Amino acid sequence: MSSLEKRLAAEKRFKFYGMFAMTLSLFFVLILMYKIFSTGSGAFVRTTINADVYFDPNFIEVSSNSSKKEIMKASYVDLADQVINQNHPGLDEENFIKVREMYTRKFDYQLRDYIVNNPNVIGKTVNLDISASSDLDQIVKGNYPRNVPEAQRKINDYQLSILDSLDSKGKMSKTFNFWFFTNGDSRDPETAGILGALMGSFYALLICFSFAFPIGLLASVYLEEFVKPGKITDIIEVNINNLAAVPSIVYGLLGLGMLIGVFGMPYQVPLVGGLVLGFMTLPTIIIASRASLRGVPPSIREGALAVGATKMQTVFHHVIPLSLPGTLTGTIIGMAQALGETAPLLLVGMVAFVMEIPGGAFDPATGLPSQIYLWSESAERGFLEKTSAGIMLLLSFLIIMNTVAVLVRRKLEVKW
Amino acid sequence: MVDQNSNYALQTSEVYVHYGKKMAINNVALNFPKNEVTSLIGPSGCGKSTFLRCLNRMNDVIDICNVKGKFLLNGNVDIYSPDIQVETLREKVGMVFQKPNPFPKTIYDNVAYGPKIHGIASSQNELDEIVKDSLHRAGLYEEVKDRMDDIATGLSGGQQQRLCIARAIAIRPEIILMDEPCSALDPIATAKIEDLINELKENYTIIIVTHSMSQASRVSSKTAFFHLGNLVEYGETGKIFTKPDKEQTNDYITGRFG
Repeated sequence: MSSLEKRLAAEKRFKFYGMFAMTLSLFFVLILMYKIFSTGSGAFVRTTINADVYFDPNFIEVSSNSSKKEIMKASYVDLADQVINQNHPGLDEENFIKVREMYTRKFDYQLRDYIVNNPNVIGKTVNLDISASSDLDQIVKGNYPRNVPEAQRKINDYQLSILDSLDSKGKMSKTFNFWFFTNGDSRDPETAGILGALMGSFYALLICFSFAFPIGLLASVYLEEFVKPGKITDIIEVNINNLAAVPSIVYGLLGLGMLIGVFGMPYQVPLVGGLVLGFMTLPTIIIASRASLRGVPPSIREGALAVGATKMQTVFHHVIPLSLPGTLTGTIIGMAQALGETAPLLLVGMVAFVMEIPGGAFDPATGLPSQIYLWSESAERGFLEKTSAGIMLLLSFLIIMNTVAVLVRRKLEVKW
Repeated sequence: MVDQNSNYALQTSEVYVHYGKKMAINNVALNFPKNEVTSLIGPSGCGKSTFLRCLNRMNDVIDICNVKGKFLLNGNVDIYSPDIQVETLREKVGMVFQKPNPFPKTIYDNVAYGPKIHGIASSQNELDEIVKDSLHRAGLYEEVKDRMDDIATGLSGGQQQRLCIARAIAIRPEIILMDEPCSALDPIATAKIEDLINELKENYTIIIVTHSMSQASRVSSKTAFFHLGNLVEYGETGKIFTKPDKEQTNDYITGRFG
C-alpha cells in the first residue's frame, strides 16, 4: 500500500471512530430521555372521581357571607365524609375508611378551594371531579399491577371492586394535573407540586445573578484593564481558575460556615442558597468576562484614548459594551450550572419539606434539584413520577437558558 | 535645538525612547512647522511610529515604554510635564491610526464622542453642527448624510478612515498625527485621503508616517528619514527626494534597501 493510501485510510478510520462515538452517545441520551419521559409523563395526568357534591350547610361551619379568611380557616373534613357517604350509600365503618382512602387525603382542601372561589355554592349540589388518591391513580395508570395477591397491593379487593363499578358508571376520568405546576410540596403525591421549588430556585438565581454578575464583571474589568500585571495578579489568576474547579459542596460548606455560622443568616432560605451559588458562579463569570474583554481589539481602546477619553471612559463607554455579549453568555451558562447544583443547597438547608410557596428570598424554600432529590427518596410510586417530571422541568430550563446564551451571543456579537 | 519661534506647532529635542532595555529612538530632534505636512519615512522598525506616538503620549499605555526628551507644544507647553493632563494634550493633538478603527456605534456617535466627553458642545444643536462640519471637512458628509444612524463598521475601509479623521478633527485639535493612514486602503480611497490631507493642512499641522515614498512626496512639504531609531535626514520634501545629503537616504528612496 502506498503512503498516500495509508494516510487516507487513517483519515477514514478516524472519521469512523468519531461517527461511532457520536452514535453511541446519542443512543445513551435517547435511552435516558425515553426513561425520563416514560416515567415522568404520568405526573402531568391525574385520575379523578366524579361525584355529586351537596354543600350541606349543616356540615359547613361558614356561610356564603363569611370572609375569605374565615372560609380558608374552617374545616371541611366532615363535609368530605358526608360527600363520600352520599356517593357511596350504605357503607359500614370499615368499608367507609376503605372508600375514603380511594379519594385524595386533601379532599377537604379541594372542597374548601371550591367554596373560596364560589361562595354562593353553599346549600347547592354541584358535580365535581374529585382527585383520586395516589395509590388509586397508580392502579388506574397501570403502574401498580392488579393481578398480584391482595396483601402485596396497596389497593385491596374491595377498593378494586368499587373502582370497577365507578369505572363502569363512567365516573373515573383523567385530567391534566395542573397541581403539579401550582402547588408546593406535599406528603401526598397527588397534590405535590413543583412551584415551591421553582420559586425557590428562581429567587436563589435572582440573588445569585445580582450578587455575582456585577462583582464578576467589575473584578474582571479591574484585573484586565486597570491593574498592572505582576506576581500578585498571576496568583489571583491561578486562584480564580482553581476556584472554578472547586467542588460545589465546598461552597456549600462556605455558606454554612460563613453566612449561616458567622453572619447568622437564616437556614433554608434562597438568600443564602443564592449567595452560595453566586460564590460558585463568580469564577466562571470572571473567566468568561476576562476572555471577552481580551477579545475587544486594542484599536478600539486606542481610538477612544486618542480623542482624549480617560482610561475609565474608554473602558466603560467602549470596552465593556463590546465585551458584554461574551460576559452575558458566560453568566447565563454559569447560572444554568448553578440552577442544577444540588450539593450547596443541601448544606444550607434548602432541602427540607416546605409546603408553602416562597414569596421572597427570605422564605424557607427548596430548589428544583433538591426537590427532585427529596422526591427521589420517597417510597411512593407517585413520587417516582414526580421525580422524573421534575427532572424534565429542570432539563427544559437548562436547555432554555443555554439556548438563550447562544442567542444572546449571536444577536449582540459585534463583527469586526 | 529648541528655539522659541512659535512658527512651530511642535518642537522636540533629545528624544530617547526605550522599550525595556531596547532602544527605539536615539537622540532625535525634530520641529514641525505650523500648518504644514511633515512626513516621517523609513524602513519598518526604524522608530517612526514610536516617535509619532510620543507626540500625543500614546506610548503611555505601554508599560515598558520609557520616553525621555523635550517636547514643546506651541513653543511653551511641555507635553510630558506632570502639570499636563494627557487627556487635554490629546484634545490638541489628534491621531488617526493605521487600521481604520471606528467605534462599532453609529456614524453620528463616532464623531460626536470626542466633543461629548470634552463638553465642547453646549447644546444638541451645536453638537449636530460639529458632527456635520467635521464630516464635511473629512469629505464624508455627502456620502453618509442619509445614514448617520447606521453602524460605522458597515462603511467601506476608505470611508471608515475618513470617519476616523472626522472623529479626530471633531475635537478641534491643532495637530493631527497619522500613522500610515492609507496602508489598509485601496488606491482610490488612498487618493481621497491624500486630497483630504492637502485640504486639512490649511487648518491643522499634520504629521504623517508613511511607507509610500510617493505618498510622502505628494502630500508633505517636509520629510524626515528615520533609520534604526536615528533621525538620518530632515528637510524640504523636494530636496530629500531629489538631492538628499546622506547616502543612506538616497539608498532608501531609490529602493536599494528597506
